[in-house]
Amino acid sequence: MSENSEVGGGRSMSVTRGFDWCDLAIERGLARGAAAVEAFYLESRSVEVMVEKNDIHVPKGDRYSGIGLRVLMASDDGFKQGFASTNLLTAESIDSALAAAMAIAEASPADPARCLAQPDRGAAGVEPVEGLYDEGIAGMDLAGAMKQAGAFLEGALGYDGRVTVDSAMFRAEVSEKTVANSNGVRLSQHKTVASTQGIAFAVDGDRVSSFDLGVAESCALGQVDAFGVGRDLARRVVAALDARSAPSFRGKVLLTPYAALELVLEPIAYSCNAEIVQTGRSKWKGMLGKQVASPMVSVVDDPGIPQASGSTAFDREGVPARRLELVTGGVLQDYLYNCYTARRDGRESNGRASGNDAGLPGVSTTNMVLSPGKHSLEQLIAQCDRGLIVNRFSGGVDPASGDFSGVVKGGHYVEGGVVAYPVKEMMIAGNIYELLTQVVGLSDELWVLGAYRLPHILLDGCSITGK
Amino acid sequence: MIEVFKSVLRGVDGYAEIRYHKRVTTIIEARNGTLAKAEQRTLAGAAVRCLIDGCWGFVSTSDVTESGLCSALADAIDGAAAAARIKKERAKLAPARMGEGEFVYYERGSEPSIAEKIARVLEAEERLRSRSELIVGSVVRYTHYDDEKYIVNTDGAAAHIVDSKQSIHVFATAGRDGKLETDVKAWGVTGSWQALMEKGDLDQMVDRAAQGAIEKLDAGYAPGGQYTVILDPGLVGVLSHEAIGHTVEADFVLAGSIAKGKIGQRVASELVTMVDDGNVPGAAGMVLVDDEGVQGERTVLIENGVLRAYLHNRESAAMLGAAPRGNARAFTYRDEPLIRMTNTFILPGKDDLKAMISEVEDGFFLSGLGQGGQADSDAEFMFSVGQAWRIRDGRLCEPVKGVTISGQAFEVLSSVDAVSSGFKLDMGAGHCGKWQPAKVDAGGPYLRCRVTIGGRQDEREQ
Repeated sequence: MSENSEVGGGRSMSVTRGFDWCDLAIERGLARGAAAVEAFYLESRSVEVMVEKNDIHVPKGDRYSGIGLRVLMASDDGFKQGFASTNLLTAESIDSALAAAMAIAEASPADPARCLAQPDRGAAGVEPVEGLYDEGIAGMDLAGAMKQAGAFLEGALGYDGRVTVDSAMFRAEVSEKTVANSNGVRLSQHKTVASTQGIAFAVDGDRVSSFDLGVAESCALGQVDAFGVGRDLARRVVAALDARSAPSFRGKVLLTPYAALELVLEPIAYSCNAEIVQTGRSKWKGMLGKQVASPMVSVVDDPGIPQASGSTAFDREGVPARRLELVTGGVLQDYLYNCYTARRDGRESNGRASGNDAGLPGVSTTNMVLSPGKHSLEQLIAQCDRGLIVNRFSGGVDPASGDFSGVVKGGHYVEGGVVAYPVKEMMIAGNIYELLTQVVGLSDELWVLGAYRLPHILLDGCSITGK
Repeated sequence: MIEVFKSVLRGVDGYAEIRYHKRVTTIIEARNGTLAKAEQRTLAGAAVRCLIDGCWGFVSTSDVTESGLCSALADAIDGAAAAARIKKERAKLAPARMGEGEFVYYERGSEPSIAEKIARVLEAEERLRSRSELIVGSVVRYTHYDDEKYIVNTDGAAAHIVDSKQSIHVFATAGRDGKLETDVKAWGVTGSWQALMEKGDLDQMVDRAAQGAIEKLDAGYAPGGQYTVILDPGLVGVLSHEAIGHTVEADFVLAGSIAKGKIGQRVASELVTMVDDGNVPGAAGMVLVDDEGVQGERTVLIENGVLRAYLHNRESAAMLGAAPRGNARAFTYRDEPLIRMTNTFILPGKDDLKAMISEVEDGFFLSGLGQGGQADSDAEFMFSVGQAWRIRDGRLCEPVKGVTISGQAFEVLSSVDAVSSGFKLDMGAGHCGKWQPAKVDAGGPYLRCRVTIGGRQDEREQ
């Protein structure tokens, strides 16, 4: 076996503990007759403070460690796969989990694409990501988390007395993930993540605004401005108080990053997911190299962004994760793969296996980035003779067909290139894959919403139903 | 285990509870001819929660030895003390009927082996694929939560709970000429594999999902506007749970939801009586003892159109002078109990479904939830509909797709003018999300009411 590889900083947890449990599981799994064994160990410690109804609610502490075990059994037609996990870390419970995994494998059909990752022998190897570990987060206690939650409240409630923070939280987590398999993969990474999010609304007499939300998340404490998130959220719900109806029309819609995340980036992530493509649910099956969106649209998935919450040096299976262009100039460049989906397509994984110790690896993005455009937000608004700014979308998006329909929350009606008034009871409907070809503008800034980065998006040809 | 927990809690100055929860989750998923997932997870540990000087502290740990629990209790008390320095409001707990003894939620029989379950899921997925060449995506997913809990608190709870919640989802995707359409059939129970298979015939559900997806390929879009509609029990469940139920959860009420101050007021047609009841045998939201140790009882939320009660945990019940009835729920040991629904439904009426349809001149018959939806604190909601048919001159006509319904839930319930005698709980497959998931069920009779249909603007260009 190769040497242990620890990727990234981190001093507070013992790396050997993770490798010890993984080694024990691999050894015992092979002894039970498995052809290959993968062990994924996760240890974490978190503090979290909840806010409810404008007040501190419950401070929470959690210590967790658990292990997920995947076994492959050889057969004439490939490998049979089984998986079991446990957070009871004793030799007996690992044996019992292995027995469950072997029973599942025996009952499962063989599949020639089942496989585990091979150790990376490339020139680059596994490259550590900068800024994944922050002592300020790792060492935070409940009192520290409480101070941050208090800052969120101050930011929101200090803006306007009509604001109610329905619920909010601040969370700090330090974790170690270790993945090892019988092919010789042995990797470990420490990471910290601080996050804050809240849901608020404003009440003024009989007038109640719709709910709105604010989020921030990063591996670096300095990037999570709890006060600022609360303040911005308060500003938006107060602005939505005097909402009224607007007429129906078909035309331009300006999505804020919050709305665009759900309406644009999530469907793109769905359609680029090789699991979805291979199961026939992706609109972009067979579209590699083809124009799927307006030439303005470029999307990358980048696990190497310093301090970003979705960053990682390697994926759930131990495959190095590197920057991946998904859509460039509107042309589909690649899909997201783990080892299984890659082998089914006769290629190598691009390091997008997702998940943790509690389940089999899936496929997902890391940090998804939609490149900004060249116009300011004000210039985009000025382009709308008649349009609707969608602050948040509340409704259904069918990522398979792309059809969406829902209510606009915190929206504003635009007339003659200026924001006219906030709206309520407006619905928008359309097909997101068709609208992607009708992107007519992107703002020049990049909002960070957790593991997503994106600008405002101006779409044309959207159905808008008012009263 | 109960004696160990009592020993740890002895001498606590204030309220404290220990909730041990071991969950074995089994998931089997067949997808497009492969076994995409077959896994078993064990998650076990204890949550220690205390209320000191009116402030909560909560620590979860997988170390359930006496020393591990003592250490978690000490940390929880420290957390509560830290909160006491900045928290404004102080919590009190309402008295409640505590659970003591054994609570077994279902008839335990011999459960099929994992190999037999895998074989059945694979067989169903193969059947789905073989329905038509138009089926391009096929998923059958089985989920089982096998739960054991011990709940002990300083107010007298000492309950041992054995629970089993199982569900099936069938997703069919039909495709033609670059168009893709999906239909979902899903159901769930509290009970055994046998109970799950009795609630829904797997082969029949597979056939219906395939047919539903294929029909949508040829279906047109609905023109938007206000219509008279018939909602099926699935959508009545969605409306009851999502649009009404959340607004009467006491934490939302205290935060200013639309239901605040409306107890005793008319909020719906007098034909409407809605309850939340954890005691419905076999329903997926069954809760006999909640995660604060409180025994479950039926709550009448709306009685003949009049709002009667909210849903509570012990803290909100103390604030609003109500009795807690078993609505404090936590998904795993790592989660704190929140105010949640259990089984939420409208009671059946006296009308005949066929007669209800025959009286609609121009409207829609709407069935099941589609891709999802959302409701707000003001009871404004928007849901996508799974399947929809046009009603013209009292007759069911062509299917339509892409339908969403929206409105203000209390206004919609006020517009109800017919309630069927047929009744079903039909929302037990999935989870309700509110910071953490919860297994719930919901349903009711068929309702005739007025809603806004959101369709494509193409047909109503202005």
